[in-house]
Amino acid sequence: MSMMIDPTVVDLSRLQFALTALYHFLFVPLTLGMTFILATMETVYVITGKQIYKEMTQFWGKLFGINFALGVATGLTMEFEFGTNWSMYSHFVGDIFGTPLAIEGLMAFFMESTFVGVMFFGWDRISAKAHLVVTYLVALGSNLSALWILIANGFMQDPRGGTFDPNTMRMQFSNFVDLIFNVDAQAKFVHTSLAGFVTGSMFVMAVSAYYLLTKRHQDLARRSFRIATLFGVISSIGVVTLGDALGFIDVNAQPTKVAAMEAIWNTDRNTVSAPWNLIAFPSESQGRNLFEIGIPYVLTPLLTHTETRVIPGINQLVQDAKPRIVSGIQAMVALEAYNKDHADTQALAVFKANEKDMGFGFLAMQYAPDQDLKNINTTNLPSILDKTAKDTIPNVWVEFWAFRLMVASGFFMLGLFAFAAYYSLKNEMEKHPVLLKMALWSLPLPWIASEFGWITAENGRQPWTVYNWLPTFISASSHTIGYMAFSLVGFTLLYSSFIAAELYLMFKYARLGPTAHHGHDAAAAGGGMAGQPAFAKPSMDRK
Amino acid sequence: MKAFWNFLGLLAIMILSLFLAVITGDYGPWYFAWLVGTTMIVLIAAAGAVMFEKQEEEQQGKKGSIH
Repeated sequence: MSMMIDPTVVDLSRLQFALTALYHFLFVPLTLGMTFILATMETVYVITGKQIYKEMTQFWGKLFGINFALGVATGLTMEFEFGTNWSMYSHFVGDIFGTPLAIEGLMAFFMESTFVGVMFFGWDRISAKAHLVVTYLVALGSNLSALWILIANGFMQDPRGGTFDPNTMRMQFSNFVDLIFNVDAQAKFVHTSLAGFVTGSMFVMAVSAYYLLTKRHQDLARRSFRIATLFGVISSIGVVTLGDALGFIDVNAQPTKVAAMEAIWNTDRNTVSAPWNLIAFPSESQGRNLFEIGIPYVLTPLLTHTETRVIPGINQLVQDAKPRIVSGIQAMVALEAYNKDHADTQALAVFKANEKDMGFGFLAMQYAPDQDLKNINTTNLPSILDKTAKDTIPNVWVEFWAFRLMVASGFFMLGLFAFAAYYSLKNEMEKHPVLLKMALWSLPLPWIASEFGWITAENGRQPWTVYNWLPTFISASSHTIGYMAFSLVGFTLLYSSFIAAELYLMFKYARLGPTAHHGHDAAAAGGGMAGQPAFAKPSMDRK
Repeated sequence: MKAFWNFLGLLAIMILSLFLAVITGDYGPWYFAWLVGTTMIVLIAAAGAVMFEKQEEEQQGKKGSIH
């Protein structure tokens, strides 16, 4: 029954997927946010008829276009990676996981890709109202794209809508509604989409701040700054709210992730005064925090929204896993017997009785003699249980600090947006150059928060690809180390060149400003973008 | 006739919105929150821009009255 793949190949497959996903997610959030910000600017253009909002939409749209193209290029490879590098995973849950991915491609991706062309090239070909509808469809399409991906991810985090079939040895669909309305997928979609809105807002705010500081394109910058700060402050509140909701959901769905995220080693029965660790240095070898600063009375209400619910610590969760591992071993041994003889109804009955723990049986396989669970006996069982149970906990240090860096970045941005929106509403942002400088230099923060957010979500899911069902170490394809190393280096070089191209183009066109966008026809358009003499006219002239 | 088609179009949007609100309200409260929240964010940001124009107009008016 050995299904073992070289651990180095598994590690390289994980590293490759993590790198490609993190690279890809440098582009995605800006697309998610910028599309709705562009739609907002264009809405104001259609409502007021002021040319400058059309010019704003076109200028920011150009920067969005650079990002969109590279986002698509980096995203396409990832869907193939499931097949090439995670073939066991694809075999095991492909029926369920593949469906939202297919819908994403056919519905959302085609929708945004079709309309994005009309959005860029249709300004003079369709009416202003029709173009506005197209821009909204691009915004909706890009966010629907994220929705289907996060529904697929929600299944990995909290598998719902599927059942295991012992005859086909795969998970199969049982309920499509359960899959799409999985509460983890719901909350993660809104959290991710709003994080994209924050990214778009920060991008527009930072570049506008740069123009205001350098006293260029001020008419465009002040209006863009106003829209971005309002967009950003409300979105930031939403991101924090949904982050809290995800924590609340994970207390039930993924207790190991929550315990690692908060570095809770021992269960505190005194729920009211249980401290929330602001800072901690977790030691997995010693099973405790070497140093911690905790704030009492915060942990339980923060995570459970009650004062009485007990949050299990890592040491307790390790012990709680042991009966499930025993049950999982029984399930897997019975499953193997049933597969040899489908008339063996007793084996099927034993499997069914222990089916919910079969993932823990998979997990124990790596420590069984010859990776065969039938070789486990009363003598070697205790040590196998100890090792397997410890494996059910994700890397605590990574989880704890990735989460804190995400949260710290998020709250800093919320504060920054709040101040920026306040002074923008008073029309006084130019009187606060320090705030403008902070807005400019905070540009990388939403990307940092997003990347650490994904590390929190996916590291916290370990050691599973499908939580409590399929361990990561048997999900990979059986490639050679050389193949994996070669493709990893290739992807790293290729994606790094994409990032370099994006940064070069973004900096180039952002520095040039809207002048570069309009070029020779600026005057003919009647707007005369920023930096041109016509742009210095009072805005009322451009009705 | 154009008004009739506008009416039909808006009616279709309203029915779709109600349908989405009922379905997502019952089964997907966070999806519903996203629909309402995103609409609110867009409208507030757009209103902020319209307010900016009004402020500019007032400032121009003040400058004009001083001269």
